[in-house]
Amino acid sequence: MTVPRLGHPNVGLGVGLRGAHFPYILRNEPDVDWFEIISENYMDSHGRPRYVLDQIAERYPIVMHGVSLSIGSTDPLDFEYLAKLKKLAGEVDAAWISDHVCWTGVAGLNAHDLLPIPYNEETLAHLVSRIRTVQEVLERPLVLENPSSYITFADSTMTEWDFITQMAEEADCGLLLDVNNVYVSSVNHDFDPAEYLRSIPTERVVQFHLAGHTNLGTHLIDTHDGQVIDPVWELYRQAHELTGGASTLLEWDAKIPEFPVLHAEVLKAQRFIDGHTSVESAASVDETQTSSNKTVPQPATFITAEVE
Amino acid sequence: MTFQPRELGRIQQWMQSVITHPDGVRAGIDSGAARGEIDVAVSDIEQVVSRSQALTSIERLEVYGNAYFARLLECLADEFQAVGHAVDEEVFTGFAFGFLQTYPSTSYTLADLGRRFPQYLEEIRPDRKSSEEPDWADFLIDLAKLERTYSEVFDGPGVEGEPLLSPGDLQAIPPNQWPLVKLQPVPCLQLKTYRFPVYEYASAVRQETDPTPPPAEPTHLVITRRDFIVRRKAVPSTQFALLQQLVEGATIGDAIATVAATIDGSLEQFAEELRGWFENWATAGYFRQVDLPDATLIHPQRQVKLGVRDLRL
Repeated sequence: MTVPRLGHPNVGLGVGLRGAHFPYILRNEPDVDWFEIISENYMDSHGRPRYVLDQIAERYPIVMHGVSLSIGSTDPLDFEYLAKLKKLAGEVDAAWISDHVCWTGVAGLNAHDLLPIPYNEETLAHLVSRIRTVQEVLERPLVLENPSSYITFADSTMTEWDFITQMAEEADCGLLLDVNNVYVSSVNHDFDPAEYLRSIPTERVVQFHLAGHTNLGTHLIDTHDGQVIDPVWELYRQAHELTGGASTLLEWDAKIPEFPVLHAEVLKAQRFIDGHTSVESAASVDETQTSSNKTVPQPATFITAEVE
Repeated sequence: MTFQPRELGRIQQWMQSVITHPDGVRAGIDSGAARGEIDVAVSDIEQVVSRSQALTSIERLEVYGNAYFARLLECLADEFQAVGHAVDEEVFTGFAFGFLQTYPSTSYTLADLGRRFPQYLEEIRPDRKSSEEPDWADFLIDLAKLERTYSEVFDGPGVEGEPLLSPGDLQAIPPNQWPLVKLQPVPCLQLKTYRFPVYEYASAVRQETDPTPPPAEPTHLVITRRDFIVRRKAVPSTQFALLQQLVEGATIGDAIATVAATIDGSLEQFAEELRGWFENWATAGYFRQVDLPDATLIHPQRQVKLGVRDLRL
């Protein structure tokens, strides 16, 4: 029987570490439980980003969340990248390392997007094999997140939740359940998000993600640019109940607010951890539609230089 | 008959060709690169990508196509803020669009995305008019080079936390050894020459003061990093030439002799200015240590009081 959360602790309610908040965090040492970093922003850093990370890692648990592992690509795995990932994980004592069930490019290119794969037996075998290799290199279980997606393939023969379940079981990896992504994809692909939650192996869920998204009327875009809406909180409530709880992280990557606003948003999760069953008044954020054509799905993770 | 899915590699090559096509996903589907992988026409696209209740397959693919360019354009605009300010949004978008087609990302990190952007601007610059005077294109190219250097110095190797060479350390050099001494520059030190005072323009953009492009003026810039912030200082050409000699590994004596040979004016004035220059460079943290000719090193904090005044050309 699998140990809940693959044996990882529930480190509480955390937020994504972003450059805009470096000064606030160093100055105020906010009472946040943990931070998640975008791995690629720190793997090669010899400057301020890495300096800040080292200080934060002395005070807070750190989780590494990558966007370029490209576990689903048919390009060869990048072992130099994996070595850097492993090195950084050791240096900041990362609680775990996560990335996405996706591919980011092929033929040597990187689209810097989390691109979907068809869900069938061939792609399942491909991913399981690569996850096992990555786990051998990293010498730890990999934790993989369900991405938001905007297309489905005619070559898929199974649902995303069946695919992820079989992938996690066969590769013996962990899951990062992004409940906002489940919601976004459920609207985009016309499925029941509650069925998704009920179907995945809950004991393998190491972490949750929460985020805001953009409603374009006909579909949703995972923009990470606002508050979590009530239907997503309801999914979080259900996921918490099904799993018994796991480390929870809020992502906010565009129109980034002041740190206290960010922190307050993730703290809303506490009422569901405390057993409240009503979403109303927890967030009271209604979904509004926008017609903006400038919606960019995350990740966009560039840190700009500071110049005198 | 058993369902035989397409090979994953073909689907990925196809999708990448489709969503990165400069003329949109319809043109991408019809492109030779895509049809070489999956030979499907736009009208039959549902054989590859399913539709949803609200969107057609093409509309769904367009989410990825739009996002590909929009995301990377956003990153380039963040890195090259001053270039973006100097041209209107449409022109910058055109630069970025062309750049991404010529030099698509091959790195796991977005920090590498803009590495060849200055080179790309050089490659697409209009033909020079008969005049040798720097023109508008040169201004944009120099701005891009400066902003890329800022990025690389900001997150590259630095010396924060290490003791650096101080004016006092320079004074500790035995007078008879001055000419044979070499100075080790800090790894973040960059010496750059531009055709315009682009550093002033770039700083004004960052301070949101809406600058106008300056006239051409050769500008020698020393760029380094202290306390994790990029520092830049314009210096006169003689001082810059001497720094270049030192950074390239010349002894102080050889460096001074080389630069002195190029001076048209007063050598006495040059000699008088040297002491101040060395002190300023040490104060600014351009050098980490002194290499003495007998291979012993003078590190910061190992001080023997001897005067730089004893230096003679």
